[in-house]
Amino acid sequence: MSLKLENIQVTIQAAPILRGISLELGSGERMGLVGRNGAGKTTVMRTITGLADLAGGQIFWNGEDITQMSPRDRARLGFGYMPEDRRLVPDLTVEENMLLPAWVNDAIDGPQRLQFVYDLMPELTKMSKRKALLLSGGQQKMVALGRALIAGEKLLLLDEPFEGVAPALAKRISDVITSLKGDGLSVLIAQSELSHSSDLLQRESVIERGEIIKVNVIDPAFAQRVPV
Amino acid sequence: MRYVLFLYAAIAFVVLAAGSIILPDWAMFLFAMALAKGLVCLGIVAMMRGGVVSFGQGLYYCIGAYTATLAANMWGLSDIFLLTLLSSAVCLIVGVIFGPMLATYRGIFFAMLTLALSMVLYGTLSKMSVLGGSDGLNIAPPTFLGWAPEGRDLQTALYIYVVAIVVIAGTLMRIYFDSEQGLITLATRDNELRVEYLGASVRKVMAYNYIFAAVLGGLGGTIAVLALGHVDPEFAFWTTSGEFVFVAILAGYMSVPAVFVAAIILEVVRSFSNLYFPNTWQLSLGIFLLIVIVTLPNGLGSLLSRRKGGKT
Repeated sequence: MSLKLENIQVTIQAAPILRGISLELGSGERMGLVGRNGAGKTTVMRTITGLADLAGGQIFWNGEDITQMSPRDRARLGFGYMPEDRRLVPDLTVEENMLLPAWVNDAIDGPQRLQFVYDLMPELTKMSKRKALLLSGGQQKMVALGRALIAGEKLLLLDEPFEGVAPALAKRISDVITSLKGDGLSVLIAQSELSHSSDLLQRESVIERGEIIKVNVIDPAFAQRVPV
Repeated sequence: MRYVLFLYAAIAFVVLAAGSIILPDWAMFLFAMALAKGLVCLGIVAMMRGGVVSFGQGLYYCIGAYTATLAANMWGLSDIFLLTLLSSAVCLIVGVIFGPMLATYRGIFFAMLTLALSMVLYGTLSKMSVLGGSDGLNIAPPTFLGWAPEGRDLQTALYIYVVAIVVIAGTLMRIYFDSEQGLITLATRDNELRVEYLGASVRKVMAYNYIFAAVLGGLGGTIAVLALGHVDPEFAFWTTSGEFVFVAILAGYMSVPAVFVAAIILEVVRSFSNLYFPNTWQLSLGIFLLIVIVTLPNGLGSLLSRRKGGKT
């Protein structure tokens, strides 16, 4: 399961946001996308989910060109997306929010994936019947991560998962992501700061003004991966 | 929890049906009309839950009424069950034709397109002398599986029939609202993009809601024409559709019973305003709506909502 972005260009109101981004995420790989605010991290995420209009370039999933595929159809490929602002449905309960992807995709075994998430994050079990609007920001991040995990059986896209979260909760989220190691799940994490955890990421792509300027190899086992 | 819903439905039926014994003729007619219009408004509420409001629901109210009238006048059909089925089927077909097209529009564009469709029907019917033109058509009193009541019996039978339809439709819509598809509609109202990237088709959700609303509009129109005994193009006029939107706003999108309560309140307020302030009754209605919007921004339904930290 590999994701490949080739020379991606995105323009918003004549302003170039992404200027020829290319990156490759291997099966089971956890990669960071690091850059300052406005560098284009969220636009890369939106490009992969199909929410951004491309001015040029191609996106491949397992060698198949998915550039023209709608966001709805990409979700069915097993993509899970956790947006920076969480975007839970305030009127739905925690459990309903997490099950939403399973309701619209028959390929997802809702109860089984929900149990997987509860096993991974037992703290969600206690709040499963609470409405999302009653949760704190950190709790909402956990729920959004749970929802992304239910949808994302193959690829997990996490946009600023640690931002605005108390250090203890950030550590907990980091532990949850790290524990996914070995499931064949590829993870792309956008964040503003360089990772301090060698366990969390294997490679880190640094993005600046819409371009990948450097790739840091954190896990030596991934040093042989094709550099961008 | 579904048995609780059925229990509420049974209680609602008994309470409303008791009106056939205690209400005077004029009030029973007023309640029957209010409940019929409440069905149309329930359709608007179904769309409101997805974030769109139809300003042209008079289209289906009118199609339902004309279908029943034409079937009665041309083919001699008088059975209320057959007339209801036929009108609903016609509205379903029209809804299936327009639903997928309108489902791509939002906000003012959706509202104006729905309004335009109803006004096209209004204009067409007004000019078609074969359908009575602007004078409309009369329809004979309905029969009930061969039984042809008259006078108070007819009014009672029609009222009980309306109550039964309202309770069944209300229960089904509550089940739909609480279903996965219904909750996805709520998610769509909040943020369409999110629903799309989670894998759902917003267009499909919107089309379904529109089609359900079309059938409910047809049901309401059929019952209204049978209660009135007359239909004219005013059924599709924008003021009629505006009245439905008025009730939907009054009710809010949270509760099904609130829709029918709001419809009854509107009819009562209008009737008494008309009686005591014949020249300024619209002003009374406007003030009443303003008070509700200011004090209950989410409508009467926010008082009756049965989801406290749970379902909406």
